[in-house]
Amino acid sequence: MSGFSFNLLKITDPSRFRLGQLIFSRNKQEKILDTPNCFVYTMRGSVPHLTPDNLQIIPVDSLGITLEHFLEAQPPTSTHFMGGIHKFLNLEDYLLFFDVRDSSKLLHISFNTDKYVSVVTNQGCRKVTVEEYVRYMNIYNPDIFASISDLITDKNPSLKRVKKSVDRTLNWLDETLEQIKEGIHVFGVVTGHDKHEERVRSAQETANRNVAGFVLNGFDLDVTSKERLDLMKISLKHLPKNKPRVAYGLGAPEYVLLGIFEGIDIFDASYPSEQTSLGHALTFLLLENGIQNEQEKFIDLWDNKYRTDFRPILNGCKCYACQNHTRAYIFHLLVAHEMLATVLLMSHNLFHYLQFFKDIRKSINNNTFTNNAMQFIRASNITDEIDIKPNFNYRNY
Amino acid sequence: MKSALTWEIIAKCSTTKARVGKLILPHGPVDTPVFMPVGTQGTLKGITPKQLEELGCQIMLNNTYHLGLRPGQELLEQIGGSHNFQNWSRNLLTDSGGFQMVSLLKLAKITEQGVEFQSPHDNESTMLLTPEHSMSLQNSIGADIIMQLDDVVSSLTTGKRVEEAMYRSIRWLDRCINAHRKPDSQNLFAIIQGGLDINLRKKCIEEMILRDTPGYAIGGLSGGEEKDIFWRIVTLCTDLLPKNKPIYCMGIGYTEDLVVCSALGVDMYDCVFPTRTARFGNALTPKGSLNLKSVKFSKDFQPIEKDCDCVACKSYTRSYIHLQATKETVGCHLITLHNVAYQLRLMRNIRQAIIEGRFPSFVKQTFKDLFGSEEKYPVWAINALKSVNIDLLS
Repeated sequence: MSGFSFNLLKITDPSRFRLGQLIFSRNKQEKILDTPNCFVYTMRGSVPHLTPDNLQIIPVDSLGITLEHFLEAQPPTSTHFMGGIHKFLNLEDYLLFFDVRDSSKLLHISFNTDKYVSVVTNQGCRKVTVEEYVRYMNIYNPDIFASISDLITDKNPSLKRVKKSVDRTLNWLDETLEQIKEGIHVFGVVTGHDKHEERVRSAQETANRNVAGFVLNGFDLDVTSKERLDLMKISLKHLPKNKPRVAYGLGAPEYVLLGIFEGIDIFDASYPSEQTSLGHALTFLLLENGIQNEQEKFIDLWDNKYRTDFRPILNGCKCYACQNHTRAYIFHLLVAHEMLATVLLMSHNLFHYLQFFKDIRKSINNNTFTNNAMQFIRASNITDEIDIKPNFNYRNY
Repeated sequence: MKSALTWEIIAKCSTTKARVGKLILPHGPVDTPVFMPVGTQGTLKGITPKQLEELGCQIMLNNTYHLGLRPGQELLEQIGGSHNFQNWSRNLLTDSGGFQMVSLLKLAKITEQGVEFQSPHDNESTMLLTPEHSMSLQNSIGADIIMQLDDVVSSLTTGKRVEEAMYRSIRWLDRCINAHRKPDSQNLFAIIQGGLDINLRKKCIEEMILRDTPGYAIGGLSGGEEKDIFWRIVTLCTDLLPKNKPIYCMGIGYTEDLVVCSALGVDMYDCVFPTRTARFGNALTPKGSLNLKSVKFSKDFQPIEKDCDCVACKSYTRSYIHLQATKETVGCHLITLHNVAYQLRLMRNIRQAIIEGRFPSFVKQTFKDLFGSEEKYPVWAINALKSVNIDLLS
């Protein structure tokens, strides 16, 4: 059995934030994913815009891969490749975490039944059964995957529908745990939608099973990030402390910080990709010793004021874009609809986002996290408005 | 006129007119024959300057027309030229801007003064690109090789207009030479015009040689003319142009064209083809182009090209690139990287074959790999190569 463990290095009471290490083995080497951290977002198994040489210069440890992106053909053509998914995607040194549906958005499509869930592909709707999913995972051999779950995409579902979703998800988890081969680790998906008692039931029942960790998918909830977090809190209270928790839908930095306060260990990193598609370059910093200036969270490089700005995106940033290129050049590339714009923005945004997590870990370690994070959160305008999800499209070149 | 380059012929083919040269430009050496990828707007389609450098690219093209519109001359002056703007430390070549005006803009009108065209900003006012203005723009961009403004006519045009364009190109060359502010750091190339008319081409070369520019381009071709006439014009130009100056054939990028023109004595090429075709999912190989969008590659677990050392071939199978091709930008970047690697390798192989005295057999093998059977060899290529003593069919 491949090595896999989760060590909590530090846990704080009464607040619940934690510092941990997810230890896994890759290429016969023991590797560590320090938490809090994120699974880097991918499209069809690649970080958007980044070829492997450009990815390599960013300190990425783990990526989230989505089965939905490979399901145009069924079974996916990649299941015919015998070297495993790490090799197929040229990601042999990384921890790969699989899920069925895209962690950045949950597009409504058709319905789920006791037998299968419906997913979206470029060529329309596809159905996946638990048996198929587990079979693909046994071929792919990822490090971890999330069990298949009956996520609700209707608005205001009835209690009956939510109960059915919890039941199905638990049944599928049982089947998964029975059929999966040794060495691949399963994270159970905690559901319950917006029904308090069902969230508790789902959390408790999932915790009773032999899972390596938990996933809280906030994207089936058509609510604000704040409400999303409030609902997740209900589940989190009923999960054991010694296993890692992954959350989707808390990508903006202030929600990452709030999520960490509630005991989330790993986030989906679709945020830097979304910001890239908007032409935004991330500039927020978790500052030590509370410099309370109005800091800009990002700069919008479509803004004409950057046309003659020959500074890097962020002074002192060690990413490829900041070390080599100016705001004026990226502005030019955006305006000229040149694809290098998103390559440079993604290089910076991903680097920066990972640096943010590094700063968070350092701050927890130094016991300054509460102070720094609270100042950051206070400076952010957290509103109750529904998040407007950009309808982003990587194909507009 | 003044020159900011040195040019040394290192090896000559004993059968054909092919030659290997070392061109030293202000931003470093260029081994010729060379293919120059086209980075129209100060960037090569999605590829970072670092990646391009790692591929071994020594010179890239920028387009004056596009850079003049965006980011604009003033900004380029401010930052000290296009090299600085895009952080590219190797060589650049810019065109005059005239070709884009004729090809992109419907209402371009050519007068003795220059090319008059409708402003792309408001579609009402007209703007004028003169030889002086082109030089001023190209001086601001700061490329190592710059091109004269020429009077471009379609290669299908016949009659008086071709002659007029040829003589006007000579007059505009003189105006370019006079207006050129930086002959110490930028090399102005003349462009031979004269359409498909041998006498006009001869006359043009005669006149332009007198101007003694650092290099010469063969213009007015690749516009849909018969290939069998195209190569005759190319070989006429390489015969008549001075042997101690680099010769650049504009708009050439297909494998067979590069091999044939090198045999005819051309040293430099550019074309958008390898990078454009990549965006449609086509990967170049010695056996022709693979359309990676095609379902037949969905379970093909080989690299695009065996033995290719580009990032795409080292990292991925055709099957994976098929998933990405034309759907994600990464798919496009991977095929672009491969196609540029392919073009640069082809040129490296051409040079190596000339140096090692086996160019004729290299040419034969290239055609065999590319077309498979002899019946598929293009007649014009057979004729062109026969003129330089290579019999493709023997």
